[in-house]
Amino acid sequence: MTNRGLLRRRTGSGPSAPAFKRDQASGEAVTFQWSHLPLYIALLVGAFVSFVPFFYMGSTSLMTLGDTINRQVLPDVPQWTNYVEAWTDARFDLYLRNSVLLSAITILGMLFTSTLSGYAFARIEFPGRNVIFVILLSTLMIPGTVTFIPQFLMVRGDVIPWGNHLDTLHALTVPFFATAFIIFLFRQFFAEIPKELWDSARIDGAGHLRFLVQIVIPMSRPIVMTATLLTFVNVWNEFMWPLLITYTPTWRPLGVGLYTFIQEAGPQTHLLMAGSVITILPVLVLYFFTQKQFTEGIATSGLKG
Amino acid sequence: MQDTAPAPTSSPAARKRIRFKGEWLTGYLFILPATVLIGLFGLFPIVYAFYMSLYRWRVRQGPFVGLDNYQQLVGDWVGAASFIGGLLLVVVAHSLWIGGLRFASGWGRWGRLLGALTLLAAGIAISLGWDRLMTTGDRDYFASLVRTFYYGFISVPIQIALAITLASMLYQNIKGRDWFRMVFFLPYVTPAVAGGAVFRAIFSPREERFANQVMTDLGLPAQRWLYETEPVSELVVNYFITRFGGPGAELVNFTGFWAGPSQALLTIIIFGIWTYTGYNAVIFMAGLANIPKNLYEAAKIDGANGRQQFFHITVPMLSPVTFYLTVLGFIGTFQAFTQLYVMRSPATRDAVDTASLEIFDMFYLRNNFSMAAAQSIFLFVIILILTLYNQRILGRRRTS
Repeated sequence: MTNRGLLRRRTGSGPSAPAFKRDQASGEAVTFQWSHLPLYIALLVGAFVSFVPFFYMGSTSLMTLGDTINRQVLPDVPQWTNYVEAWTDARFDLYLRNSVLLSAITILGMLFTSTLSGYAFARIEFPGRNVIFVILLSTLMIPGTVTFIPQFLMVRGDVIPWGNHLDTLHALTVPFFATAFIIFLFRQFFAEIPKELWDSARIDGAGHLRFLVQIVIPMSRPIVMTATLLTFVNVWNEFMWPLLITYTPTWRPLGVGLYTFIQEAGPQTHLLMAGSVITILPVLVLYFFTQKQFTEGIATSGLKG
Repeated sequence: MQDTAPAPTSSPAARKRIRFKGEWLTGYLFILPATVLIGLFGLFPIVYAFYMSLYRWRVRQGPFVGLDNYQQLVGDWVGAASFIGGLLLVVVAHSLWIGGLRFASGWGRWGRLLGALTLLAAGIAISLGWDRLMTTGDRDYFASLVRTFYYGFISVPIQIALAITLASMLYQNIKGRDWFRMVFFLPYVTPAVAGGAVFRAIFSPREERFANQVMTDLGLPAQRWLYETEPVSELVVNYFITRFGGPGAELVNFTGFWAGPSQALLTIIIFGIWTYTGYNAVIFMAGLANIPKNLYEAAKIDGANGRQQFFHITVPMLSPVTFYLTVLGFIGTFQAFTQLYVMRSPATRDAVDTASLEIFDMFYLRNNFSMAAAQSIFLFVIILILTLYNQRILGRRRTS
């Protein structure tokens, strides 16, 4: 919690002004008032409901099978071995590695395509620019339910004769390298960079690529952070695509791994909850450390949508 | 680097043109990777799904059958046309109501009347079309659309109402606002599979599990939750009948559209509400930040209390955000997959499967690729109409 001030200052810079930056409290100091007591009670009830499933998960993940049947709220003796069991026997070690790898590769690919195209759409004049951009944006309306069947056939090599790529690392990542929404965010950000910067770079003999790499990208920390976080959460939570195209554990990510575990574990809730903790924890840790950026990124982008 | 150096030509116009061509090339090269990927994995599949739906296609491509798959899906074209036409009429009715087609002054009142009439016609067209679709078309598919409808109509309004309340409470001058916001937002970032696993454990039919413990503590009977295929309305009525009806009372059995969702689906809806309320609240908070403070000050001077301020300033000022989130919520409902897929069990498929799961099963379990494609195109048309509606309204707001 001590670094929150730092984060806030950091997010304050850059063109995508966070929606919360303005202090809503109209400058009044935040103090406890008795008249607000019902508010606090209502909020605490809400927070309790939000949090109970997490508590249940954490607590159950440390129980013995007997504890889960005996209606216990907390385990008698925390069973850390549950984690060891889920980790090694249920292959969560492999799934976690896969999820980390998939996220990292997808984020790199996303940053590559999105900075380039976001920059071009914002700052380079070329014929058809707006038409192409609108066409790309229109993919946001297309539900995954419509596209997954052709995508599956494409990856299997039925549509374009490039061979069968089911159950490969690149089939799990490459389709997510470019999303219209992230490109849109980058374009918004780049459009607000002062034109004078480009003019002076141009005088120094820099082309667009050099300007982008040396000047624009170092300025773009906030948007790179937001895009990275959004992509990370999307990849981490992606379920249908890896379920469709992985049939061995080799590249199976956590979500699908947990799902197969649900099918197999049956009544062993304590192990299942340990697996859930392993799946959730990385996202939660990341969220704790970047929550300002995270919620602000989502709020501003959500409103523009 | 990509820029060609200005060639030594005589006229400055020609030089400019060459420079621009170099710039074009840079532009095209920059957008190439993203455009190719989105074209390949985002746009092309739409065309290809339509292409597939015109063939007999089970695992491998079969003969061309034209619109046979659609014929089989909707049964009767009049019903389909009436249903889709009715949906489009809703959009027309709305624009008439708000005076989007205003021709002269004084049109407003007539526009509203006409809008109301059109809405009525739209309702009739939708319900008549729906009847024919249900009787002559693919029953399983249209029943899944009904469940999608339940899902949306129950979860979205509750999410919105809870979120707007949370957001306006958080917006007061209270301590620990950041902490509360973080806790409310946690469910949204939780992977749906893991969240689903936890909810499955909590709402297990076993008596020792959390939800049933709470039920028994409240003096209510333990429920089967995710395994209960009967409608909630029936369960509630039967509870009262057994409780107060005496020994000879007969239990009821509700079926059909008005029976409402099954308990299994309702449990999944609870999970959906838990997941998305915090997200909606965060967007509402961003919307609240845009409401001018002086509105509240003026209201305070006029002696409005907190409740009046909430209903007369906060709610109206947030209405664009509310609308946006509502439509987004409905589109999300139509696309919802992971939560339902994780929480269903083979026995409850007829009670919980929404349209996207029905399509997935048609593809994955029954291997009828072409029918799945046709079903997805039909769903796409519905989502498209919703999206267009959303865009129209947002577009209007942006220009006005």
